[in-house]
Formats: sequence, structure tokens, C-alpha cells
Amino acid sequence: MSDPRPAEMEIEGPKRSIWRNLSLTWLIPIAALAITLLIAWQSWAERGARIEITFENAAGIVPGETALRFRDVNIGLVEDVTFANDLSSVRIGARIDNIVAESLPSDAEFWVVRPEVSASGISGLSTVLSGVYIEAAFEPQEGAEATRFVGRDTAPLVRPGMRGTRIVLRAPDGAMLSAGAPIFHQGIEVGRIETPRLLESGNGVIADAFIEAPHDRRVTTSTRFWDTSGFNVNFGPQGLDLSVGSVAALIRGGIAFDTVVSGGNPVPSRYVFDLFDDETAARDSVFSQSIDNAVDLVVEFDESVRGLEAGAPVTYRGLKIGAVNALGAFIDDVSGEQRVKLRASISIDPRALGLEDDTAAEAEIITFLSESVQDGLRARLASQGLFSQSLMVELVTIPEAEPAALGIFDTEAPVLPSVESNVPDVAATAEGLFQRIDDLPVEELMEQAIATLRSVESFAGDPDLRAVPGSVSGLLDEARGLIGSEETQALPGELNATVTALREIVEDLREAGTAEKLAAALDGATAATDSVSSVATEITAATEEVPALIEEMRDLVAKANALQLEAFVDRATALADSADRLIASDATQALPGEINATVAELRGVAEDLRAADAIGRLMSTLESASAAADSVTGVAMDLSGATEQVPALVDDLRRLVETANDLPLEAFIEQATNLVASADRLVDSDQTRALPGALTRMLDEARSALEELREGGVVENTNATLASARDAAAAIEEAAESLPSLSAQIQSMVGEAELALQGYGENSRFNRETLSALREVQSAAEALNKLARSIERNPNSLLFGR
Amino acid sequence: MEDAGTAPRILTAKQAGLVGCTECGRVHAPGVARCTRCGTRLASRDTASLQRVWAWLFAGLVVYVPANLYPMLRTTLLGKTTESTIFGGVVDLMHHGSYGVAAIVFVASIVIPVSKFIAIGYLALSVQRRVQMSAHKRHLLYEAVEFIGRWSMIDVFVVAILSSLVQLDFAASINPGIAAVSFALSVAFTMISALSFDSRLIWDVDVGVNENE
Repeated sequence: MSDPRPAEMEIEGPKRSIWRNLSLTWLIPIAALAITLLIAWQSWAERGARIEITFENAAGIVPGETALRFRDVNIGLVEDVTFANDLSSVRIGARIDNIVAESLPSDAEFWVVRPEVSASGISGLSTVLSGVYIEAAFEPQEGAEATRFVGRDTAPLVRPGMRGTRIVLRAPDGAMLSAGAPIFHQGIEVGRIETPRLLESGNGVIADAFIEAPHDRRVTTSTRFWDTSGFNVNFGPQGLDLSVGSVAALIRGGIAFDTVVSGGNPVPSRYVFDLFDDETAARDSVFSQSIDNAVDLVVEFDESVRGLEAGAPVTYRGLKIGAVNALGAFIDDVSGEQRVKLRASISIDPRALGLEDDTAAEAEIITFLSESVQDGLRARLASQGLFSQSLMVELVTIPEAEPAALGIFDTEAPVLPSVESNVPDVAATAEGLFQRIDDLPVEELMEQAIATLRSVESFAGDPDLRAVPGSVSGLLDEARGLIGSEETQALPGELNATVTALREIVEDLREAGTAEKLAAALDGATAATDSVSSVATEITAATEEVPALIEEMRDLVAKANALQLEAFVDRATALADSADRLIASDATQALPGEINATVAELRGVAEDLRAADAIGRLMSTLESASAAADSVTGVAMDLSGATEQVPALVDDLRRLVETANDLPLEAFIEQATNLVASADRLVDSDQTRALPGALTRMLDEARSALEELREGGVVENTNATLASARDAAAAIEEAAESLPSLSAQIQSMVGEAELALQGYGENSRFNRETLSALREVQSAAEALNKLARSIERNPNSLLFGR
Repeated sequence: MEDAGTAPRILTAKQAGLVGCTECGRVHAPGVARCTRCGTRLASRDTASLQRVWAWLFAGLVVYVPANLYPMLRTTLLGKTTESTIFGGVVDLMHHGSYGVAAIVFVASIVIPVSKFIAIGYLALSVQRRVQMSAHKRHLLYEAVEFIGRWSMIDVFVVAILSSLVQLDFAASINPGIAAVSFALSVAFTMISALSFDSRLIWDVDVGVNENE
């Protein structure tokens, strides 16, 4: 048995508090945990709100990548792409920023932005690299936390928040409407249209359109829209009309609008406008469709109204004020006999006349018209254009028209009196014009022209013509040689000195009052001329007999033609040759020098003359000459008396010619030929050749004589000479008195001369030769002209010969 | 480190009534406050060691969660930004057929950290006698954790290098995500945790077990 022993106690000291043993290191995991939780909470808080958008398809949308943007700022990310329950659409779940989600209204619009290339430009280019994104558009609305949306296929025409007016356009077909087509107002883009859609009734197309503020103020109830797509060519009554819009409009179509008439009220949203094919139609529509309080009138026409149709304009002084409503015919038996009259009912727009569009206007217009009709206002048909067959009704004031009144009835519209139209028949006039053109002898003209050209060509191609320039060139060379000779060069100096001396003489003469004397002498000469003129008149009378005389002479010439003139001409030619040789001789060439010297002598004489009192003598001489002229006048008067006997003279001449006809001319010609031959021999003889030398010698002698004259008492001699001249003038005076008999002799001489001249008349060989010579000269001149032109064009040809 | 030795019974400094310096290895008699050679504070056993181990381990675990949930890399290629988590990256790499790289990333980023957590936790528990384990095996485990710890930073290095090199604005750019920081912290925490472990405890427990027997 052992003593119970208390159990050994394991006594431990009081356990230290677990907190006291705790290491400070535990703070680190606590801090890490706190930070991690903070990050987790933050990312959860920033995760954003989830929304769901339903799309038709999810082209290009990638979960986790495709962003949502609002005003081009990322607001979220697509989380997942799933199908709707029935697989009919795609449901896209996205997280968007809380700040956006708080204000997201249920009408927010979402659409997928893709790269798009269209006629209006390229959009969404940034999405080519970054992929598509979803654009959101909404008007922020505090507290509206919508989460389910239906996405759009295309970008909306009007983004929420844009200001403007939404309207509806109605068109007969959608060909001119394409989605996104611009709307222009006076050339600037102010809006766009949306995708057009068919009306439920199927007979038209409507499209929503949006006009941006502030341009939407221009849209009123009186605005008209028209299509500007493409280009529009219209050949109408007003002529050719081509209108082209902008290039974008050309490709994509476009719509323009304008307010055609004043007035009009602001339009409410979704107001429906009609879309017209072109601007003209749109402007005209104001009259054709919207005359609310139109004043109806009736016009009756007697004539045909072909070309007039419903809708045709009614103009007043050129301004369109209305339109034709309807046309009809009725039988008019007022005047006893039945006639078919045509009746056109027209509407007049009060606004076009500047009146308010209300019921009061009608009465005003009726009053105005009835007053105007009394002043001559009438309706008549007029052509709409130059080539148009279309007619319109024109209201014109014709003061001289027959009196008429506006027919006002209770039941029918007032009847406006009409007058006959003056529509020109353009077609007939044009036809006449063409007929005239057709009748022109164009073919003959062309043939003539061709023949002329051919002649010119053959003439130009003549070898002789081409040879002419060379000959002319040689001629010019010789002429240059002649002109270049020293004597010829010296001539001008001498002449100049002579002229100077002569001028001094003339001055002396002027001082001496010679001119007055000369004038007196000229007066006398004038009187003489008058007398001669009267003589000529007499001669004219006498010439009436001349034709017969000419006949006779022609006979004579015929005989003369029969003579052997050729031989004679040969001789004459030989004579000319001899003369040519003579002229070419050295002695002849030396002549200029001699002449030169003689002129010098003459100058000396003139100077001496001036030194002496030659002038006074001359004056007295002139006086004598004047007296002589007076005598001549008297003679001419006598002559006038004598010419009265000219007819008798002509008779005598005729007889003479007859006698001459009988003469043995052949023998005469032979003798003449012999004479010419003799002359030829003479000219050809040495003596004749020596003649120039003799002439030279003679000139020398003359010169020496002149020198002697100078040395001797020339002046005295001259004085004596002048005295003799005066005596001679007196003698002339006397002689003139005996002129009548002289004139008779002259007459006979003239007769003979005429006879001779007849030989040179028409068709004579001489004439032909002369003509041919003249032609050659002409052709030569033309060739020269041509040469000159070619040289002018191409001066080098002188050097190169071409 | 003390030589582990091969003999089944090892005389520790504590049993010998001595205190070893953890820095220079000099053995002192008890009662000396500081190492006479290097001046390190001397303690036979660090009593707070295990607390620190557990604390750092928890911190590493906490930050390892966001390291896996948040994106590691934010890659921007031609305007498209892709974010990839660690595991997502591994899956992507496998999808692209890069199994080798995928395996490396998987091992370095997931297997090693996770096994480190487990190893450190197991070690700490075994020291506290909650788990039976021979001292020798504990020592081997400790050595392995020490060795492998530095290799866990591969991911972080890759991200750091890519981020600094690939900065081509629009064409391509790579930025580190939150996970990169978290992962780096996680690795750092586990390494500190491993360092906090007083390895002398390994032998004490073994001794205790033997004593109880």
C-alpha cells in the first residue's frame, strides 16, 4: 500500500494572452486582404450596368472586344452575343458605364457602325482596323435606367437631340428616292431622306425626310419639293432646258425644295409634301393644284383650239395667273344659224394678281375683269413657244376691239369675250424658206468655180510664166547697171542745180506779177476752149453719119487686110532691130554725158537770162500771148460756124473713102514696103550709125555756141529775140484770123487720119497683136507679183534659187 | 545551414546546451546576448518564427487570388486590346499549339506557387506536430522550397521585359495588368514566408518525437 500521493500537477504558468504573442507580421496579410478586397470591390463597382440590345444579326460584333460608343466616347463593351429564345434575332449583352446607364432612356437607339462607301462619301473608315462598334444615340434623361433595347440596322436619319423638322415626302414612284439622298435648298445640303417605303395602298411611295434647323424654317405649306437626281434635259415650249445637280445628286439622287409663292404657314412634324419630277413641274403645281379660291371663267372660241389642253397656262401680260381647267364644245344658235363653239373654262389664281387668298378676292377679280373688258381686255389663243404647237390663253388689252362686256350669269361662270388669235403658221414659213434654199443653183455655181480654178491652175502651170522671173531679173540687172553709171549718177546733181536756177527765175516772175498775166491768158484760152467745145458738139452731130462711113472704111480695111502687110511688118521689125542696135551703140550711150553738159550750159544761160531783164520782156510777151489767145477764141467761133458744114464734109469723106476703096492700094503698099526697106537700109547704113557721133558733135557745138552766147551779148540778143517773139505773137494773131481755112484743111486731114486709123480697128492684126502683147505683159506682171510674194514669204529663195 | 548529417540521431546545439549563431555559425554558451563574432542577436529558438511564416503565407495566398482573376497582360495589336489572365494565357497557348510554352507558363505560374503554398503550410504544420513527418524529409522539403522560390518570378520577368520592349503605340503595345503586380507580390510573400521559417525547428520536433517514444 502506498501512500496516496497527489497527482503530480502540471502547473503551467498563466497562459500568455494569444494577442500578446501575436506577431506584428499578421498585419501584412490583413493589409493584403484589404487591398485585394478593395480592388475587387472597385472592379465590381466599375463593371457597369448590363443592358441588352436586340439586333437582326451580329455582323462583326465580337464579345469582349466590340465597344459601345456615345458621341464617339467608349461607354461600354459587349459581353456576350446570344440568340433570342426563338432564334429570330440576336441578343447582345453589354456592360455600360454606370454614369451613362443612369441616364439611358428607353428610346435610346443603337446601331452597328461599319465601314461604308457610298456616293455621299466614306464613313466609318476607322472601323476597318479596329472592327465595328456599336454607336448609341439618345437624349440623356436623368433616372431612366432602361436596360432592354432594339437595335437599328442602319444609322438613324435623325439622331436624338438633333434639331430640325421631320417631314414626309410622297412620290408616285421610288425611282428618284434613295435612302440617305441629300435635300438641297438653293444648292446647299440641308437634310436627308430615309429609306422610301411603299404606301399601303400600293400606289405611291413615301419617305421620311429630315430638314435640319435652322433651314427647316424655310419649309412652309407653300414649299414644293422636286427631284434633282441625275440631269434633266427638256426640249419644251421654252426651248432646250438642261439642268444638272451636284455630282453626289447625280449618282445618288437628290431632292431640292423652294418656297414658290409667298405666304404659307410653318409645317408641323410629319407634314406630307408631294415630290415633283422637276422644278418646273413643282413651280407650276402651285397653280395647277393649289388654287384654293380660284376664280372660274369661261372663254368661247370660234376657231380651232388644237394645241390647247387642260393645264395650259393663262397669262396676263406674260405673267401666269391661272390655268385652263377643261375644254368642251357646244352648239350656239343665238344668231339663228347653228354654230359649234368651243368653250374653255379657266381658273385664275387670286394670289397671282396679288390678292389675298380668300373668298372676297373672287368678287374683286370679277369687278376688275369687267372693268378691264370694257377697256378692251380680251382672251385669245397664243402659241406657247416658237416651234410649239401648244397653245395657251392670253389675256390682252386690245383698245380697238369691238365693244363687249363680261357675261355674268347666275349659274355659270362669267364669260370672257375672245378675239381671233394671230398664231403664225411657222411651219408654212419654214417650208417656204427651205424651198428657196432648195432652188438656189448651187450645182452650177460649183461647176463655174471648178472651171475657174482649173483655168487658174493651168495658167499658173504655164512654163512661159515661170520663165518670166528670170527675164525680169536680167532686165533689172541691166537697169541697175545703167542707173549705176557715173553719168546717170551725176544727172541728179545737175538737174538739181538747174531746178534751183529755174526756181530763182520763177521767183523773179512772181515778183513781176506774171501770174496775173498768165491768168488773163488762161481766161482767153478758156473762152477758146468753150468755142472748141461748141465745135465738138457740131462734130458729134456730124458723127451720126459716121457709121456709114465706118462701113465704107471697113471695106477699105478688108482690102487693106488682103494686102501683103506681113512683109511690111517684117521690114518694120528689121527697122526696129536696126534702131535697137543704133540705141545700143556707144555714141548713144555717150549721149547722157552730152546732155548733162548741155543742161549745165542751159543753167548758165538761165542764170545769164536772170541777170538780164528777161522778165520784163517775158511779161510783154505774155501780154501778146493773151492777145493771141483772144484771137484764137475768135477763130474758134469761126470754126464753130465752119463745123456746120461738117455733114457735108462727111459726105465728102465718104466719097473720098469710096474713091480710096477704088485705089490700087496694093501698089501703094508695095511702094511703102520699098520705102520702109529703104529706110531700113538707111538706118542700117554707116552714115546713120555715125549719126549719134554727129549728134554728139552737134551737141558739142551747141554747147560751144551757148558758151559763145554767154560770152557774147546774149542778153541783148535775148531782148531782141523776145521782141521778135512779141512780133511773132502778133503774127500769130494775124495768122489766127486765117484759121478757118486752116480748119477746113484740118478737117480733110482728120478724115484721112480716120481712114488710116480704121485700119487699126477691131479684129485687125494690129489689134490682136496688141491684145496678145498686153496679155503677155499682164501675165508677166502677175508672175512678177507672184515672184514678189514668194520672195516676201521666203527671202532665202533669192539666195538658194528656190 | 547546419550539416544535416546522416546519422539517425543528431546532437543539436540546444541539446548540447549551446546556442548557435544563425549568421556565422559560431556556437556560444547560453547567456550570451549577442554573437561575439558577428554581433547577431542570439536565440536558441525563434519562438515567433511560425507566426511570421503563417502570416506571410496568408498574405501570399490573398494576393494570389487577384493574380489569377485579373488580366496579367494587356496586349494592344492594331487598335485591338486583348487582356489575358494567367490561366487564359495558358489555354490560348494550347489552342495555338504551343504546348511547350504553355507547360512552362503553367508550371511556373500555377504549379510552383501552389505547391509552395502547400509545402510551406505542410512544413509549418509538421513543426507544430500536427503532422507526422521525419526530420530528414522536412529538411528536404525545406530545401526544395528555398530553391524553387526564386524561379517563380519568371512570369513577372517576362511581363516586365515585354512591357518595356513592346511599346509601338498603335501597332502593338503590351502593358502589365493588375495580376502582374499581384503575382509578383504573391511570389515575394511566399519567399519571405519561407525565409521566416526557423529551420532549427525542424530538428526539435524530431527530437521531441523521439523523446516521446
